[in-house]
Amino acid sequence: MNAKRIFGLMLLTVMLVSFGAGCAKKTADSMPAGATKVEITDKDTDWQKPAAPESRSLTEDEIRAQQREQAQRELGNMIFFAFDSFELTPESRDVLTSKAETLKKYSLFNIVIEGHCDERGTSEYNLALGERRAKAAQQFLNQLGIADSRMTIVSYGKERPLDPGKGEAAWSKNRRDEFKIQN
Amino acid sequence: MKTKIWILTLLLVLATGESVRAAETLSVDIFGPGQSRVNILVLPARGAGGQPATNLARNFGEYVNGDLGFLPFLRVAYLSEVLGGDPSKGVKAEDIDFKPLQLSRIDLVMTISGAGQDIEARVYETFTRKLLVGKAYSQVDQSGVAHVADRFCAQLMRVLTGKSGFFDSTLAFSKKVGGGKELFTASALGRGLQQVTHDGGFNVSPSWSKDGGKLAYTNISDLGHRLGIWDRGSRVSRLRRFPGNIAISPTFTPDGQIAISLSLNGHPDIYLLDADFRPGKALAPSWAIGVSPSFDLSGRKMVFCSGRLGGPQIFLLNRDTGAVDRVTYDGTYNTRPSLSPDGRFVVFARMTGDGHRIFIRDLVANQERQISFGPGSDEDPSFDPDGYFVSFASSRGGGTKIYVTTRYGDPARLIPTGPGDAMAPAWGVATALN
Repeated sequence: MNAKRIFGLMLLTVMLVSFGAGCAKKTADSMPAGATKVEITDKDTDWQKPAAPESRSLTEDEIRAQQREQAQRELGNMIFFAFDSFELTPESRDVLTSKAETLKKYSLFNIVIEGHCDERGTSEYNLALGERRAKAAQQFLNQLGIADSRMTIVSYGKERPLDPGKGEAAWSKNRRDEFKIQN
Repeated sequence: MKTKIWILTLLLVLATGESVRAAETLSVDIFGPGQSRVNILVLPARGAGGQPATNLARNFGEYVNGDLGFLPFLRVAYLSEVLGGDPSKGVKAEDIDFKPLQLSRIDLVMTISGAGQDIEARVYETFTRKLLVGKAYSQVDQSGVAHVADRFCAQLMRVLTGKSGFFDSTLAFSKKVGGGKELFTASALGRGLQQVTHDGGFNVSPSWSKDGGKLAYTNISDLGHRLGIWDRGSRVSRLRRFPGNIAISPTFTPDGQIAISLSLNGHPDIYLLDADFRPGKALAPSWAIGVSPSFDLSGRKMVFCSGRLGGPQIFLLNRDTGAVDRVTYDGTYNTRPSLSPDGRFVVFARMTGDGHRIFIRDLVANQERQISFGPGSDEDPSFDPDGYFVSFASSRGGGTKIYVTTRYGDPARLIPTGPGDAMAPAWGVATALN
């Protein structure tokens, strides 16, 4: 019991001393015989456990950004055309039908339909042709219930080829409509 | 087929030398029939008082030789063609022995002298020994010598043909810059190259107003098509949106209006804009694509490209009668017409199995011929203000560059426009920007 008392007194003394001396790291050097060596270290207080990552809800902006990304992914498929043509192929109609569904699902977003041509035609005529291509897609989507006000058309003619190469393999990729989220 | 220049050389030597006037000695009808060229010899430059020629005068001579090479009705002869070599002791008529020049069939001889910053240049007609052009230029420096050479050649062309639009014009064209295109201007010889727009996106289809004070063009960006008007006086461009999705191929009429292809009724038609940029009635409307209007000097004839009969073809609108006539029958893809100022000739791009080629159609004789021969693709033909030269864009050298030929299909010459693709050249009567 005696030893315990002495130990308790010592501990108190050391604590007081350390309190008075500030928060520097101190070590008790003088130990009574038989006492258990105790190292006392002042640490910066850290009373609380680190806060667990809060499972907060996403902000509206973040949800919108996620939806935008998702919608753009779903709208990413292009449709392609024959040379000097703005006629929609059956495949293009299928692609557009699925785009209409996407646009209904993400009714917040408007889109830009870009019409493009291959390099074989001449610049000014291709600008007009690109518009007809974009317009063909817009009209089809409109028939499926997408308001015209949600769709903007830009014809780039042959200014922005997807594949700058020569030959039908490149040209057929360049005769296209692209669909991009506008807002 | 190797095409020839149609030249009529008119040589009038009257009985008494005193009554011969310079204007009657030699003239070249660049539009008339003929098979020959006029031979011109540029003698080596001389210094003053027997001194060696100055570098400035020598450079002047080199630029003149280069410039004359653009004129297909002239053949630049070599000194080695003249018996006995240089037949001159000075730069004036009395210092030149014209006989060996006559024997060598040299029609014109040019002398150059220079002292300090002064340059004198003279062109004599060898058979009459008459001075055709004589000019003196003072305070010429190295940076201005090319411009001086161009001016002298303009004067020579004017004396010979009555025309000098080639030298007096400024070309505007579209050039790739970064990921887009901007408009540049330069002389027809590629001098004074300058970027004039900085709009971003793609600036295409420039067209000069008749006085050379404005350029109309299309700007394409994520915002859609906009009509651009660049003002030479303020060097500022303004962009303007129109209802519908397009604003394609704006073209100034001779009286300063703009014809432009707009999609106001769901398909591209050509409209004339009023002073407030409001579109009036469509010109030669149809259900199909209508683009690329081009007018003659009266503004009453308009050629354009239309898909009204299927593939794109060239049509002619008579604005007085409203009649629309088809111009092209051969080929399935004829686009981008340019009408000569006199309204007689149409140049256009025709798609062939080897790419586009430039063709010319004589609307009076109803004849058609090819005037560019590739390789690659030749597009965007445009008449010069005289209706003699035709500029176009070609991919014959790899990238797309601007070339010039004549309506007779003379060998095409590259117009230097610096690195980067250049296309859609348009001639303006304005002199090059400073």
